[in-house]
This record gives sequence, C-alpha cells and structure tokens, in this order.
Amino acid sequence: MAHTATSSPETTANDVINTLAGIAPDSALAAIRALRPDVVRHTQGSYDALLAPAEPVGLTLAERAKVALRVARLEGNATLADHYRHQLTQLGVHGETIAGVEQFPAGPTLEPRVAAILHHVDRLTNEPGSATQAHLAALQAHGLCVREIVTLSQLIAFLSYQVRLLVTVTALGEENP
Amino acid sequence: MTTKLKFTAEPVDWVAWLDTLDLADATPEQIAVLEESTPTAKTSPYYLLLVQDVDVLRERSKLYNAIMYGPRGLPRAERELGAVATSRVNGCVYCASVHVQRFIQLTKQPELMQRLLDEGVDTPLEPRYRAIVDYAVKLTRTPNTITKADLEPLRQIGLTDAEILDLAQAVAMFAWANRLMQTLGEPALPTK
Repeated sequence: MAHTATSSPETTANDVINTLAGIAPDSALAAIRALRPDVVRHTQGSYDALLAPAEPVGLTLAERAKVALRVARLEGNATLADHYRHQLTQLGVHGETIAGVEQFPAGPTLEPRVAAILHHVDRLTNEPGSATQAHLAALQAHGLCVREIVTLSQLIAFLSYQVRLLVTVTALGEENP
Repeated sequence: MTTKLKFTAEPVDWVAWLDTLDLADATPEQIAVLEESTPTAKTSPYYLLLVQDVDVLRERSKLYNAIMYGPRGLPRAERELGAVATSRVNGCVYCASVHVQRFIQLTKQPELMQRLLDEGVDTPLEPRYRAIVDYAVKLTRTPNTITKADLEPLRQIGLTDAEILDLAQAVAMFAWANRLMQTLGEPALPTK
C-alpha cells in the first residue's frame, strides 16, 4: 500500500474515493474535488492511517478490514463492501471468517475479541446515541486498551464519513462523466 | 451514567469515559498535533483522548479544518447548518450546541437555531436552508439511497457541484464527529 505522506494533492491515481466512484484523474469531477486539495489529501491520509498503517499498533490490519467490511454491509454499500472484502482476501483471511463478518452475529462463529469489536461496530454505525460507558468496559474486558479503543472508534466513525462522501461523489459523477 | 441532556444552544462540557493523556506525558509529536488541531486542544478531554492515536488525529484534524474552514465555496454558515442538522438527527447534544453557536455567530439567527433544536429538522425553513437540511438528513440517515435525483433540489437553489461537495463533506465529517463524541464520553452541564 502506497504511503501518501509525500503524495501531491494532484496525484489521484491512488485516491480510494475516486477509484471507487469511478472518477478518472483527468475528469471534471476530479478537478472539482481538487479545489479542496487538503480535503482530498487528508481523506486519503485518514484512510491510510486507519486501514493501511505502515506499522499497525493495537488492531491488526485484518481486524481493521473486518470492521470496514462490516460497516460497508451495514450501510448497504456494495462497492465499499467489495473493496474491503478484497482487502481481507489479500490479507489471507479465510472465506468462512469473511462470511462471519458479513452475516454477524449470525453466520460462522468469530473469535470472541472480533465479535466484541463487531458488536461495537454495529452500535456505533446504526445507533451511536445508544452507546454507554459500559460498552467501552466490555471492550476493555476483551483486552482492548484505551489507545486501541480510540483507534477502533476513529475507524468506525471514519467509515461513516467515507460512505457518505463516496455516495455523493458517485451521484455527482453520474452527471460529470 | 448521568441523565441525558436535552438539546441546547448554551455551551456544554464534554466528559471522557476513558483515561485522557496527561499533558506532562505527551511526546513532542503529540503536542504538535494538539496545537495544530484547535486552539483549546491541550485542555480538551476530547483531544487528549484522541491524541493517543496521534497519526489518526493528525490526519483527522487537518481534514476537519479543511472541510469546515476552507476558503470560498459553500458559505461557512451553511456548512455549520449541515453540521447542526446531522448532529440533531444523530442526537449529538454536544456537537449541536457547539455548531448552533457557530451558525448564530455567522448569521445572527438564534430563533431559527432554537427551533431546529426544539422541533427537529422538520421545522419550517426558507427554501435554501430547506434543501440543504433535507440533503443533510437523507445523507445522514440513509446514504445507501442517495442518487443524482437527490442533488436536483440543491442545484435548484443555485449550488454548484463544488458547493454540493462542500455540503456533503461537512455532513460526512459530522457522521464522524458525532460518533466520537457520542461513544467516547458524554455532554455535561458546565461547572461554573
């Protein structure tokens, strides 16, 4: 995965939003996005820091991609789900585990730590107002430290951002081919 | 847990549910990211919690500032309106309080904001604000149903594609911000 710290905002070849929305780097819509170079740069930078860190601390890359696939499924976005399913396959995660993530909490059984994480994913994505301090204690009981809970929360919340940006860019793209 | 606060245009505090970083233990990198996040970050429990994953906070703060404060494009007040509508739908009392105050500073329309807080996003609005709030609400509730037809009301009030993108980015940013504020701590009445 490319590290984007040195990439210029004009470089859209590795831009996940443009790629998933089917936006060509030289298109009118890519130019409109590039009017806010810091938004393009740090949307991708957030993606890289959360889903493709060079040295992942706390949550593994596979755990991060499982969270992402789960949010994509909850939000009903097939494009994002395909993207993260592919990422899990590339990371060597077995099909049965991927099915367990997609069908959670039904489907194949997942390891307890991942199940605890996915319960949190479902709550934060569908009903963030229902979260309580006890839910964080449940994560801590599964071995997640404060820093890992911060990372997990940022990841889940970023994915809510990503899907909303993606659907708008996709809709704009239908009229800016 | 304390009793849930009602929506308010008055300032409210925020209390973390997890241990925040003691500034005395912060690395130079963490200090730098706090300083570039927001002027009050070094005394804010929210930022002192988030800075424990410093790489993510660095990106997020730069993104947030670019979306909400970037020059030109959709007027800043209307980005704040998108933030308020999103926070009202998601039930984020803290975010609503902060961004209602920003909107009022920019537009001097406290009555409008009070109605939005009291009555919700269906309260009567002038056509331009109505179109902005409607898009914010739909993008917040059901992003999987957004199509190009949903952009039409925004075009009819005169928004360019760049301004539509500005609105969507503000709404999406608050899908993110609300979830952090609602699930890592809770709003509290200020201690005087």
